[in-house]
Amino acid sequence: MILEIKNLHKSFADLEVLKGISLSVDKGDVVSVIGPSGSGKSTLLRCATFLETMDSGEIRYLDRAAAWTGEEGKAVYLPQSELRRMKSVFGLVFQQFNLFPHYTVLHNLMASPMVVQKRSREEAEQTARELLKRMGLEDKAESYPCQLSGGQQQRVAIARALAMHPQILFFDEPTSALDPELTGEVLKVIRQLAEQDMTMVIVTHEMSFARAVSDRVIFMDAGIIVEQGTPEEIFGNTAQERTKRFLQNYGD
Amino acid sequence: MTFGMICLQLLEGLGSSTLIFLLTLVFSLPLGLFVCFGRMSTWAPFRRLDPDWRTRAIAGVSPAPGFKGWLSRVKPVRAIFVFFIAILRGTPLMLQLLVVCYGPYYLFGARISTTWRFAAIIVGFVINYAAYFAEIYRSGIESIPPGQWEAAEVLGYTHNQTFYQIILPQMIKRVLPPVTNEVITLVKDTSLAFVLAYAEMFTVAKQIAAAETSFAPLFVAGLFYFIFNAVVAWAMEKVEKSFSYYT
Repeated sequence: MILEIKNLHKSFADLEVLKGISLSVDKGDVVSVIGPSGSGKSTLLRCATFLETMDSGEIRYLDRAAAWTGEEGKAVYLPQSELRRMKSVFGLVFQQFNLFPHYTVLHNLMASPMVVQKRSREEAEQTARELLKRMGLEDKAESYPCQLSGGQQQRVAIARALAMHPQILFFDEPTSALDPELTGEVLKVIRQLAEQDMTMVIVTHEMSFARAVSDRVIFMDAGIIVEQGTPEEIFGNTAQERTKRFLQNYGD
Repeated sequence: MTFGMICLQLLEGLGSSTLIFLLTLVFSLPLGLFVCFGRMSTWAPFRRLDPDWRTRAIAGVSPAPGFKGWLSRVKPVRAIFVFFIAILRGTPLMLQLLVVCYGPYYLFGARISTTWRFAAIIVGFVINYAAYFAEIYRSGIESIPPGQWEAAEVLGYTHNQTFYQIILPQMIKRVLPPVTNEVITLVKDTSLAFVLAYAEMFTVAKQIAAAETSFAPLFVAGLFYFIFNAVVAWAMEKVEKSFSYYT
């Protein structure tokens, strides 16, 4: 099991955003998380990537606990240094790309393998150039992020995450900040990754894409997982009234 | 006194002004970063008195009530730096120079030598400008999108690695215009060193003007300041341009 989340709770002030989420992701799984705004999808990803601290629950990567509920009923995390090491298991692609603007595209891809994983410059550069090729961006190596379109920036961001050799990739609404005509190129890259058996959890509003690419779809609403199943089960003939109502708002 | 003599004496004074200018910059620019760290410190040694301190870190949450709640929020390092920045920005630099120079005399009866006067000028200028630079740096750091911190954090960067490799370089680019402003102000502020009887350019100009009953030395001094600042502005624009390869 690459990722296992058990009974995760998270509140912001008096607002309970996640009310006991349990979820497991196996090697090669492509899981889409759908649901209305404010349902807690992004917070779930942020908890899974340690950007937010959960209140209680358990998070395990590769069958090793990163955080669990302590005796006082509150979340206990591994020490910072061990937690940081565990971060190399996953990668996160942000809605807003968050590339480093003062680095070239190539440097964006090389920096973290060299700084965090202490890889050699040669190795980092080789990996970076291979990834850029896969993304169809080999001619952009020396460009700066501000010189690229949104779709190109997001593909660089995906490559940056892949440069760390993660075993699972999280996507937080990867196409929501893009012009509609640019979403295609990013979705194509994600689809290619799915074909190469990359393990992925994708928070998305692109329903037809989620249906086409996922092995499993999770529908969240108001901080709980309402239901999960194969794309056919969710999009084809869901029994849940709430899911039906949500999907009706999407023409497809 | 011939016009040429006046210019020569003024140039000598300009050398003294430039010395203050350079020494102040060399020490206050880095010291400002240190002050900025203190000003931004979130260290709250008693935060554990509030059982919900973790969740209260989020904006919009009402603070814990009572004395314990207040104590849990006290950030001593930040408070000290906020206090000193307020003093340094809120009182005249001239007064600060006098305090730095004569404070030791009143406190310990220390002897005021020429060397000490010069040291006091530099110390006074450096801490005053460090306070201004600290606030400029802080505004620059806070203007960096939080996504930059998060991206680096998820990739496994430590806090220090993120700051020095990702945040600081972007911060420098953003603070260049306000720093240029301060540097230009500093050129003119060097004339305040006259309160400690230091012969910088404006002091020299005033002396000659009084002796010769002529306005010309003051006008020439003004011209020299203007040229000095034109050079500073030109150099800073070059620096800004060197950062323009990204937005």
